[in-house]
Amino acid sequence: MSNAFREKSLSYLIVGPFAIVLAFPFYVMVITAFKNGTEFYDASATPYWFKQGPTLDNARFLFDNTPYTDWLENTALIGVAVVGITLLLALPAGYALARLSGRVGQSLGVGIFLTYLVPPTLLFLPLFWVISRLHLQDRLLALILVYPSFTVPFSTWLMMGFFKTIPQELEDAARVDGASRLKTLVRVIFPISLPGILTVIIFSFSLVLNEFVYAFTFISSTAHRTLSTGVYTDLIRGDLPEWGAIMVAALIPSIPLALLYNTFLDRFIAGFTGGAFR
Amino acid sequence: MASSDDPGRREGRYDRRELIRRAGAGAAAVGVAGSGLGQAFYGPLRFKGRDLSGDLTIIQWAHFVPAYDQWFDNTWIKQWGQKNDVQVKVDHILNTLLPTRAAAEVAAGQGHDLFFQLSPPAQFEDQVIDHKEIVQEVTRKVGKIGLVGKKATYNPKTKKWFAFSDNYVPDPVVWRRDIWNGVGESPATWEHVRRAAPKLKAAGHPLGIGQSAELDSNMALMSFLMCFGAYVQNEKNQVVLKSKRAVEAVKFMADIYKRGETDEIFGWDPSGNNNFIYSGKGSLILNAISATRTPEDRKLPFADDLWIWPIPKGPVQRKGFEHVMGCYQIWKFAKNKAAAKKFLADLEINYSQAFTASKFYNFPSFPGAMPFSKIRRATAADKHKPLGKYGILTTIAQKYTVNPGYPGNANAAFDEMFNKFLIPKMFAQVSKGQMSAQDAVNAANHDIQAIYKKWRKLGKI
Amino acid sequence: MEAAAVARPRASRWGNALERQGVLASVLVAPAVIFIAALVGGPLLLSVYLSFTNATAGSLSGKWVGTENFRHEWSNQTFQDAAWHTFLFTVLSQVVVLLVAGLLAHALLRSFPGKWILRFLILLPWAAPLPLSLMGWKWMFDTSYSIINWTLENLGFVSKIDPPQWLAQPRLAMGSVIAVHAWRLIPFAVVIFLAGLASIPKEVDDAAAIDGATGLKKFAFVTLPLQLPIATVALLFGIVFTATDMAVVYILTQGGPPPSFSTEMVTTWSYKTGIESGSLGPGAAISLALLPVLAVVAIGMLIFARKREVT
Repeated sequence: MSNAFREKSLSYLIVGPFAIVLAFPFYVMVITAFKNGTEFYDASATPYWFKQGPTLDNARFLFDNTPYTDWLENTALIGVAVVGITLLLALPAGYALARLSGRVGQSLGVGIFLTYLVPPTLLFLPLFWVISRLHLQDRLLALILVYPSFTVPFSTWLMMGFFKTIPQELEDAARVDGASRLKTLVRVIFPISLPGILTVIIFSFSLVLNEFVYAFTFISSTAHRTLSTGVYTDLIRGDLPEWGAIMVAALIPSIPLALLYNTFLDRFIAGFTGGAFR
Repeated sequence: MASSDDPGRREGRYDRRELIRRAGAGAAAVGVAGSGLGQAFYGPLRFKGRDLSGDLTIIQWAHFVPAYDQWFDNTWIKQWGQKNDVQVKVDHILNTLLPTRAAAEVAAGQGHDLFFQLSPPAQFEDQVIDHKEIVQEVTRKVGKIGLVGKKATYNPKTKKWFAFSDNYVPDPVVWRRDIWNGVGESPATWEHVRRAAPKLKAAGHPLGIGQSAELDSNMALMSFLMCFGAYVQNEKNQVVLKSKRAVEAVKFMADIYKRGETDEIFGWDPSGNNNFIYSGKGSLILNAISATRTPEDRKLPFADDLWIWPIPKGPVQRKGFEHVMGCYQIWKFAKNKAAAKKFLADLEINYSQAFTASKFYNFPSFPGAMPFSKIRRATAADKHKPLGKYGILTTIAQKYTVNPGYPGNANAAFDEMFNKFLIPKMFAQVSKGQMSAQDAVNAANHDIQAIYKKWRKLGKI
Repeated sequence: MEAAAVARPRASRWGNALERQGVLASVLVAPAVIFIAALVGGPLLLSVYLSFTNATAGSLSGKWVGTENFRHEWSNQTFQDAAWHTFLFTVLSQVVVLLVAGLLAHALLRSFPGKWILRFLILLPWAAPLPLSLMGWKWMFDTSYSIINWTLENLGFVSKIDPPQWLAQPRLAMGSVIAVHAWRLIPFAVVIFLAGLASIPKEVDDAAAIDGATGLKKFAFVTLPLQLPIATVALLFGIVFTATDMAVVYILTQGGPPPSFSTEMVTTWSYKTGIESGSLGPGAAISLALLPVLAVVAIGMLIFARKREVT
């Protein structure tokens, strides 16, 4: 047995089972999403497959009875806006902190990270008060304003580590050629940091998608909700969650996003070559 | 939204001036006869002159009987909105999330005009208006509020109506007669239940009286305490949990658990005990009739074998709390208080509609709005088997239902104890053998007294 | 900032630009700092203020009570249990994440047919919005309809009447919550580790091969040390995410099951006290307990990571 073959099978042996375990809930979700409602209470029906054949009823329920498409739109809108704001704030800050060696830079960096330690359960009431003073409650703008408060620290950190891997010589060379500081930034640094930017985009977007407490507090009307809150509040009728519809709702964003992340993963990893987290 | 310039709209409803004239001549009969929209509309002099235009925003739970929300959202608020020139918007959220939402609205000083809670929200007394105007208005039209409703929403210490209760829900036991027959028993008393427990479990159908940190368990266990003559507070709102009877009750329930229940009762949410019955496994739960309506809707094979009885009798009495109680509050900072008040008044005055839409789930807190005789007629006409099964609800409502906090009244301390699920915790500690019954009761009593002390200091009790 | 900050070998070269650099740096950092100060610092200070008052039911002011909230809440047995649970939850889930992610990242380094699909499957837990995937788990753990129990019952491993209750039995509940949390973080950690592994310069690889270090030896003496900084940072983020996030516990168990409330965490307990019961001041006091602990852990790990950097 060649070394390569042995290593390959080892890879399968390790990755295979874990991949199955990690993805198993999604298999259950798929089956449940297309299962006939009456089968849920039928003890003889296997949960691994369809007894009466798959049905689109749950999907229909989701789209007919809830503003699911609104939720998708809202989430997408917020995601894009927040990613934009994050890039705007974190890129320059990360760069500045990377170049600012010495204690000031480090303590600022640590300081920014420390804001991460504050749990949302502590902040959401005062923040809601702020949002209402600004008359932003029940508006998507409220979330767009607040979400960067946790995406920016994280992204600044990422970019800081990333910029540190860009050798100073590169910048110096550009400066020697007479470029102004700003021009150097724009023309030389940022293009190189594209993989890092990609990272920030992916991480920030996923942070936005997963957020629950703020979205629930600031947004109250059904039509303005995001994915994370709308499904939870509108598809559980106290007595009975609409499991089929919930699963459909869960699958629709998950699969495309996983495909997207998977596609960009290699580029994203390439961006870290050089040791970003130094 | 209605435009008063549109002549076509005028014809379908009473013009305000005409209303007042008729009201002076005894409008009641006229109102009942109904307009073309089939809706009684009492023109309230009380709200005369108040400008009722604008928006009205409401937030309430997603009803356990979906038909109610369909009626509320698609029929009731549209009709009322048209009649009153108000744009009504209603948001529904999961009932467990209502307290958070309320706290957030108070913190912001902005929110919905009408906020609905499923238990008397005494903790928000300072942030809401005095609802007595609405109570008085409805009283004038249909009679006094029931005792359950009054003691749940009126604070005798501050003399304030801190909420308006439109409905309460009687809490029966829902049980599988076929299974119980099979072991030759019935849940007439708690002793019967204990006797039947091991037989039922052996037959593969354990009991399901929850001991989880959720609403149904809270209600069931507190009602159970009352059947044994144990109370959390007395008429003076003092904590009296520490008693021999409470210890006896806790021991009894622990016995029932050991003989006839499984561990899942500790991990339920409000839908847990329902699913327990729907799966066919459960033999008995304490739940409102959503537990029978859903099997009917979904045509489960044993839907006809589900019987509805009052809570089993304990050694002292047969008594229970309501399953849930609808309580609306109007914030002090609400934008459209006038419309909110009128909305509630109209809803309650015409409660027969809500009652029917909820498939007998919602009983009006003002009994006059739908007299028990009428209710009995409605339940008798229900076609589900066994025929007339819903008739017992009136008996339960009249004889065996009391307010949360009985024999005292609902207050913020009781509310906090309720929201912290201290009673299920107490029962679970004994059932699981963590503590002796006496210790558990003592510990719960101690914790609850601390809560009462705090609210007493704040002057609310 | 300008004066003290930068000490470079090319100091004379940048002499003039020093000022400009400092100014530029401040300008670049300012927006982020201001933003964070306003949206985190401000509310944090307000919360700290609240913890010294007896504010209730959502109103943001109350009577000053000094340290009473802290004394009362921190001595509460439930809080102490919650702190212990948080510690267990964090440590155990992170151990699982580190081990599994480390292993997976390693195995995913070389290409093999089907790798793309397997990687897709691995990324799914991270791609799915958390509250939605948690609903999936809730369904899988359902007290009546759990697919896991269905399988076990039909294989004859457990009784039909009394199967394991994944969220209703104390130890199982803690295990389930840890497992789900780890499940959700593993893809994220895999990605970070992959990045770290990919960043090991080829020269190091070659050098190791020359020295005869392969397989396990290589892993222990070359890969691991090089991975340490990244692993530390990944671990740090993992710890912070875990300790401050209440979504998994809240949606799955709400801190239950009674009577031991074995999954009650500091975050959920703070939420219950502050929001669901309306005692804002005490709720804030409970939540604040996390801050110093996490800060110490964070700073400690950062120092460790910095020291261990291999250049």
